[in-house]
Amino acid sequence: MRLEMGHIYIKDIQFAAESKIEDGILYVSEEAVRAVALEDEKIKSVSFDIAKPGESVRITPVKDVIEPRVKVEGRGGIFPGVIAKVDTVGEGKTYALKGMAVVTAGKIVGFQEGIIDMTGPGADYTPFSKTLNLVMVCEPVDDIKPHDYEKAVRFAGFRVAVYLGELARELTPDETKVYETCTIKEGMEKYPNLPRVAYVQMLQSQGLLHDTYVYGVDAKKIVPTIMSPTEVMDGAIVSGNCVSACDKNPTYVHLNNPVVHDMFEQHGKTFNFVCHIITNENVYLADKQRSSDWTAKLCKMLDLDGVIVSQEGFGNPDTDLIMNCKKIEAEGVKTVIITDEYAGRDGKSQSLADSDPAADAVVTGGNANQVIILPKLDKVIGTLDYVTKIAGASEETLREDGSLEVELQVLTGATNETGFNKLSAR
Amino acid sequence: MIVFKSSFFYDKHTEVTVREKRKQMGSRDYMVITNNPLVLDRLKETHHIVYRDISYEEILREVRDRIHEGHTLLSHPLSGSVKPNETPYKSIMLSERKGEIDEGSVQLIENAIQACRKFIFKSDLYEESVYDDFQLIDWSLLESGMASADVW
Repeated sequence: MRLEMGHIYIKDIQFAAESKIEDGILYVSEEAVRAVALEDEKIKSVSFDIAKPGESVRITPVKDVIEPRVKVEGRGGIFPGVIAKVDTVGEGKTYALKGMAVVTAGKIVGFQEGIIDMTGPGADYTPFSKTLNLVMVCEPVDDIKPHDYEKAVRFAGFRVAVYLGELARELTPDETKVYETCTIKEGMEKYPNLPRVAYVQMLQSQGLLHDTYVYGVDAKKIVPTIMSPTEVMDGAIVSGNCVSACDKNPTYVHLNNPVVHDMFEQHGKTFNFVCHIITNENVYLADKQRSSDWTAKLCKMLDLDGVIVSQEGFGNPDTDLIMNCKKIEAEGVKTVIITDEYAGRDGKSQSLADSDPAADAVVTGGNANQVIILPKLDKVIGTLDYVTKIAGASEETLREDGSLEVELQVLTGATNETGFNKLSAR
Repeated sequence: MIVFKSSFFYDKHTEVTVREKRKQMGSRDYMVITNNPLVLDRLKETHHIVYRDISYEEILREVRDRIHEGHTLLSHPLSGSVKPNETPYKSIMLSERKGEIDEGSVQLIENAIQACRKFIFKSDLYEESVYDDFQLIDWSLLESGMASADVW
């Protein structure tokens, strides 16, 4: 599969009478995007705001972050099975609005989490402090059930992102990157001396607020399968995951998965990037066994030499991670796993809820229990009402001077387990 | 007379419900250990529910005791990304049948109890409506586990 990704750099976002992109500036008609958001009758009202890097702005509670894209050539459309009709994506030409994001926020449940600070120490930990953010806060109709609200906000975000992506359809990209994968046979013939390596991505799939969708299918109902690594660039995987802000994968991360991108960088040079394997993280232990057995079986059948495994979330998924690692290694396939740590505020506790000697190559996204002080900022988009209730906060969270004492886990993307974060040992 | 009639019908209905319940329970090989009142409310007529008004960590200990009696863990004790001690509710599925002590289950539950202590206790800080949300999330996690179990 060959996908041409056209990057259109957005330098600024402004509200205007008409939506358009001109000289790198995204003009957004509030009226138009409001109409797009309100297409769903479950949303009573929506407010839009713009947050720019460096501004004294705190966005919370964040639900999802989405990069607008448009499919210009090739099969299917962005977010297949969700917004576009079901069709295999990942080939042809796609444009992305780089440097910006649509951020959805709203109180789905009373302990909703996720903070994006656009300045200060918090901004150093969330990758979304560096993007120009069009924030939409959605209020639902009265007496709505949380899962209906979550779904309504999820879809509203995608619709607005697709609407904005469409504005780029006729533009010329500032930069174009080409991603090309081989079939199994082609890869073996083309790179006979390179190790065969795949990416195993674990998707959060436990239940309400913990869901991920693949071509519109709830990931808890899939068995592990293989994809072309370019499919995610067209939105084949989307997030319905609201909890665990620091180590969940917002849709933006699925679209820009750094493991996929970095593996493409090495494809044909140091290894042959064979495929993208997806699996789930269910709560039922027999499901875990089935999925990890299946993943290991696929690795064996594909004659892989190595895999990189990324996790999503904490606790329950630690077990899936270790089961995958152990079983894949037992098939003679080397693994490197990417996780994050809950090692306690002092960093002295055991980092994962599960372990095995086979997991001898581990990359960490950081300790989510690490404490950070977030100073008071001038403006809040969303609400601070829940900030003492979210994971990693406590009754001492809101201090007298208005600053917040929290753990890193409150910050969206702080310890992301695909490496889409700012923490580093360097 | 009217009272007698309604009482008569009520008894008949109850009898059917109990018979039906036993039949349904017999077809399942799991019980649910929970401190979530919503789970009790939704499943008490159809499932074997062990409800205890105790903390998250105490539920884990209750489950550990039963694992040592020979029951097998069927759902992950740390299901959900809502952290232990953040949510007060936990529902866990265990096998109805007893056998040899399952080492995998012992390891999972011990790790879960250890993990629980890493999180600051704040389950008692919320407004009432937030508890409803926590109950619903726990129910949803359990429901997804039961959906898998009920396939058998």
